[in-house]
Amino acid sequence: MRNLDSTKAVIAAIVAAATFVTSAAETSDQRLLNAHAEPHNWIHHHRTYDAQRFANLTQINRSTIKQLKVAWTYALGGTMGGGIWPIAGLEATPLVEDGFMYAIDGWGVVTKIDVREGRAKFVWRMDPATDKDWAGEIACCGVDNKGVALWGNAVLSHTLDGRLIATNKIDGEIVWEAQLADPAVGETITVAPLIVKDMAISGVSGGEFGIRGWLEATDLNTGKRRWRRHTIPAPGEPGSETWQDDHDAYKTGGGATWITGSYDSRLDLIFWGVGNPSPDWDREYRPGDNLYSNSAIALDPNSGEIKFHFQYTPNDPFDYDGVNELVLADTEVNGSPVSLMLHADRNGFLYAIDRSNASFVYASSFVKRLNWTAGIHPTTGRPIDYDPESEVQNYAGVASSRSKPKSGFLCPGVMGGKNWAPMSYHPNRSMLYIPVIESCNEITTTISPDDEKPIPREWFTSGGMKQTERITGSLTAVDVKTGKVAYKVESEWPLLGGVLATAGDLVFAGLPNGDLVAFDAENLKELWRFPTGSGINAPVMSYAVEDTQYVAIAVGFGGTLPKWWIDATPGLENTNPSSMIFAFAIH
Amino acid sequence: MEMRFQFSPRSSRDERTNRYQAVNRLISAIRASLFIVGAFMISFANAADSEFKAGKAVYKKANCMGCHKWHGKGGGGYGGVAASLRESPLDDEGLALVIGCGRPGTGMPYHDRKAYRGESRECYASTREELGDALPPRARYLLRASEIEDVVAYVSHQIQGKGEPDYSDCIAFWGTTAKRCQMMAK
Repeated sequence: MRNLDSTKAVIAAIVAAATFVTSAAETSDQRLLNAHAEPHNWIHHHRTYDAQRFANLTQINRSTIKQLKVAWTYALGGTMGGGIWPIAGLEATPLVEDGFMYAIDGWGVVTKIDVREGRAKFVWRMDPATDKDWAGEIACCGVDNKGVALWGNAVLSHTLDGRLIATNKIDGEIVWEAQLADPAVGETITVAPLIVKDMAISGVSGGEFGIRGWLEATDLNTGKRRWRRHTIPAPGEPGSETWQDDHDAYKTGGGATWITGSYDSRLDLIFWGVGNPSPDWDREYRPGDNLYSNSAIALDPNSGEIKFHFQYTPNDPFDYDGVNELVLADTEVNGSPVSLMLHADRNGFLYAIDRSNASFVYASSFVKRLNWTAGIHPTTGRPIDYDPESEVQNYAGVASSRSKPKSGFLCPGVMGGKNWAPMSYHPNRSMLYIPVIESCNEITTTISPDDEKPIPREWFTSGGMKQTERITGSLTAVDVKTGKVAYKVESEWPLLGGVLATAGDLVFAGLPNGDLVAFDAENLKELWRFPTGSGINAPVMSYAVEDTQYVAIAVGFGGTLPKWWIDATPGLENTNPSSMIFAFAIH
Repeated sequence: MEMRFQFSPRSSRDERTNRYQAVNRLISAIRASLFIVGAFMISFANAADSEFKAGKAVYKKANCMGCHKWHGKGGGGYGGVAASLRESPLDDEGLALVIGCGRPGTGMPYHDRKAYRGESRECYASTREELGDALPPRARYLLRASEIEDVVAYVSHQIQGKGEPDYSDCIAFWGTTAKRCQMMAK
């Protein structure tokens, strides 16, 4: 009897273990919907569907921060260049699920790392063999990838040459792959997928190469397309009346979708940002408001139908790409409860929009200098100097044009008041922490003749910019209840990596000189700093294993700054590329 | 009347064999011709490639291709509005000057590690202070004098004075297997 009991016990233990392994490996729809309930994990690109990037962990806090030390490091590799890029960078947010990390480099190589024992142990690597020159020649802004997604037993990832790949989470074998984007017409993919129901939602890059942007939903069970929704409407479709040219400018109208969106399961709506119209600066090539460029769009996940939108900078003359993330937050404004989507735009304004119907709530400037408009209209949300009677907008007169090729001194500059690096929302404080680029610059517009079609894979910007002063930055805290800047801590460098707010009342941000810094969420007083030794242009994240909280970041200097802006950030010219993940814990 | 090519059912085995051998000879001849033409193109590209290999490497490394593009036509982009090197009137000395010292008042950076150092007036007979706001930006990748010579030779022989970039330009730059060149071959 004892032996039988013992055998039964062993079998029961094996079954239990197998069940645990299975359940731990499965990333179910329910778990994705309730990612808030797993504070130890980070299973979405933005951690939760609301894109708040808030870590509900408290072990690392204002009292313990001084004991925060390096717990482990891991060299991810993948720094080799391709196309016009001498190096690749790291911009991804690693995901962590039950003690396993999934990281991706700029070329789409996914690595699974076992971090359960407080150190990094290699599990598997999936190399998609990206065609480096083919894709790297048409990547405007670096060889980068923002991250992976999890669903069921699969890891979903994109490649710069336009594929969506499902990899078996257990053994790292490719299950299926689908070619979504076409580099032959200037399309690449750098965005992290968003999983909604049993679909992966993918966006496209190429707004500087005359693409016509889209979002695509792929059936995760089959790897086949469910729907594709162009962000620039064809003639006859809603919004097409905002393209008033006579030469089919919509076909190369831009509207890329290169930052992962958000999802509200209650409204059953996907929210996604749409980028700049093409060409970037010759807006007379594309008269009209150019929907849905520079807009937030809300889509029905079942059909991809655009239910409503909000546009920030119609007929954009500045490349104020409106693609940045949309943070969903339920709070009060002026004492009234409201379901917001929050968006810090390159144009220097933070927008609070009612996400149930896209009605405008408020906009407030979060940068030190802003001169492209006199302000935002308090009821319409349009720039005050927007002229509804004009097909070509001049706003406050700074913009360049065909008749005035040189712009004035434009603030914020083309990098924007905030670029792609995601902000973080602290729900207990109703406070938004924005990684800010404080800069101004000048634009030269060249004419794209109306009767000439852009050449596939060639830049279609119709001009260029010139940086005439140093670019700096700040971490800026905005009280969402009022829209007012509560604190601003200035930085010698622009903030190019994403921010993390935690329940430990800390805010973490990485700097391009390689420093990872922790601030007090109450007042942005600096509490801790660690020099990683290379440049940071990736978001910070946090996870826990058993009773230990970790803060982790990918360090790999790449992206736009080393190539296009390095002369405007003296001191960073000798910052070398690297490819390391750092994890920190209390010791 | 519809004409079809077919073996005659009345042909003898020898006739069919002879015809078959003739077709095979023709195919072999075409293949050989194609091989010779292809090999010539590749060897021509390789010869050009090897002669200016060092300069092309500098052109890639120093980010010339970022703004002037692989074909040298320049144009708009995040690097600014770059001049067309294919249409450039500069001689070798002028190219070396602009590469080494940059172009004042524009986004063309200086690549000579000695440029604008101290009171040096080797660039446009001006010091850093005298140029003031017109001082060109400093390139991320500074070059040695020999590297500037190499890239000048590459630009003047492989890019300058050429018309629209074509397939042979493409494979000379990217290699024969590059997809972008396959597009141009179509």
